[in-house]
Amino acid sequence: MKMIFKVSVERCIACGKCELACAFAHGSEGRPAKTRINIHRRGPELGTPVVCFQCDDAACVAVCPTEALTRNRETGAIDMVRERCILCRMCVAACPFGNMLWDETYHCVQKCDLCEGDPRCVPFCPTGAIAWVPVEEAARPPQPLDREALVLEGGV
Amino acid sequence: MMPTLHINGRRVTVAEDATILDAARAASVHIPTLCQFDGLEPWGGCRLCVVDMSRESWDDDWFKVVTACNHPVEEGMTVLTDSERIVETRRVVLDLLLARCPETPLVQRLAREHGIEKTSFEPNPEPDDCILCGLCTRVCDHIGVSAIASVNRGWGREIAPPFHQAPPDCIGCLACAEICPTDCIPYSTSSSRREIWGREFEMLRDPKTGEAVITKEQAEHFARRSGVPLAYFETSDTSKRREMAKTFEKLQVVK
Repeated sequence: MKMIFKVSVERCIACGKCELACAFAHGSEGRPAKTRINIHRRGPELGTPVVCFQCDDAACVAVCPTEALTRNRETGAIDMVRERCILCRMCVAACPFGNMLWDETYHCVQKCDLCEGDPRCVPFCPTGAIAWVPVEEAARPPQPLDREALVLEGGV
Repeated sequence: MMPTLHINGRRVTVAEDATILDAARAASVHIPTLCQFDGLEPWGGCRLCVVDMSRESWDDDWFKVVTACNHPVEEGMTVLTDSERIVETRRVVLDLLLARCPETPLVQRLAREHGIEKTSFEPNPEPDDCILCGLCTRVCDHIGVSAIASVNRGWGREIAPPFHQAPPDCIGCLACAEICPTDCIPYSTSSSRREIWGREFEMLRDPKTGEAVITKEQAEHFARRSGVPLAYFETSDTSKRREMAKTFEKLQVVK
C-alpha cells in the first residue's frame, strides 16, 4: 500500500509540535529551528505546515552533481546519501519550495526523509493537520476544525 | 551473473560492476582509504587501499598487489587485506605521508593506527596539510569546472589554480574545500561575499531577505548543466517556503 504525506492547512493550529518532534527525531539537538517540517505562521493559531513533497521530477535531484539524492523505493522519499554529498548546496538553492535546508551547526544539508516510512511528526499533531495515509485517502477533503471547542479544551 | 569471491576467507557475492572495495564493505572487511569518495570515480592515487589479489585461474600461492578502490571483482577471486606485504606496503605509504605532513591530525591518526608514532624519514621542514589525494581537483573536474589542478611533480607537486592566479573558471562552489579530508583549502563565506583561491565572488542574494547559499557563477553553471531554470535559484529557501504557504492558504477547501 502506497502511503503519502497529507497536509490539511485547514486544521493546523501552529502549535509547533511537529517541528519539535522532527528536531528531536533527527538529533538536531531538539531545536525546533532545525526542523525539516516548517510551519508558516500567518496569525494566532493559524499555520501552514510546509514539508518536502518528494517530487517525482525533483529539481534537487536534477541539480545534484554526485547523485547524492536518490529515491528510496520502500518509503518513496528522496533520500540524502551523505557519503556522496559534496556540500555544494545547489539542492538548497534549487528546490522551488524551499524544503532543502542548510544546517550550519552540523554543516550539512537536511531534508525530510519520511523517517524510514513512519514520519515522527505525524503522531504528535493534535488536530490531524498532518497525516500519513494511503494514497486513496489523500484526495478526501479534510474535516473542518472546530476552533472554538479547541480553545475551551485547552482551559483558559 | 553476480560474481562470488573470498575476502580474508569470507565468502561474498556482489554486483558485476562492483570493485574489490565494494565487496570488502559488503563482507564487513575494513580497508583504509584516503582518496576514495563514494560520489566520485575511484582513482587509486593514495595507495592506502592496496590488497593482495589472486584470480581463479592463477596458482593458489600467486598473488598480485592491486588497489581495491578501482579493481573490478571477478568470479572466484581471492583477496587478502592483511597479508604481511600488504601491511608493510601500507606502513610505508603512511610513513611517507607522515614525513610530508608531520603535523596533520588525520595522517597522525592513520599512522598511529598502523603502529607508526614517528616517521622514519626526514620530516618535511615546511609542514604541509595537503596529502595530494586529488579529491579537490577530481570533484572540480566532476562538476565540469576544472578550475584547479595538480602542478609540478615529485617533491614540488602541489594543488593550485593556473599560474597561481585567481582562477577564471572557478565558480566558488566550495566543493574542493568541503571535500578536502584535511581541511587545508582556506576560504571565507558570508551571505554577501565568498572568497576562495584568491578570487572574490558575489553571492546570489534573496531580494527580500538577503540570504544566500550559492554564488552567481554557481547558479549559472548549474542551471546550464542541469536544465533547472535559473529563476529557481534566485530566492532563498525561507522566501520560497513563505510563497508556498501562501499558495496553500488559497487552496483551502473548508474555511
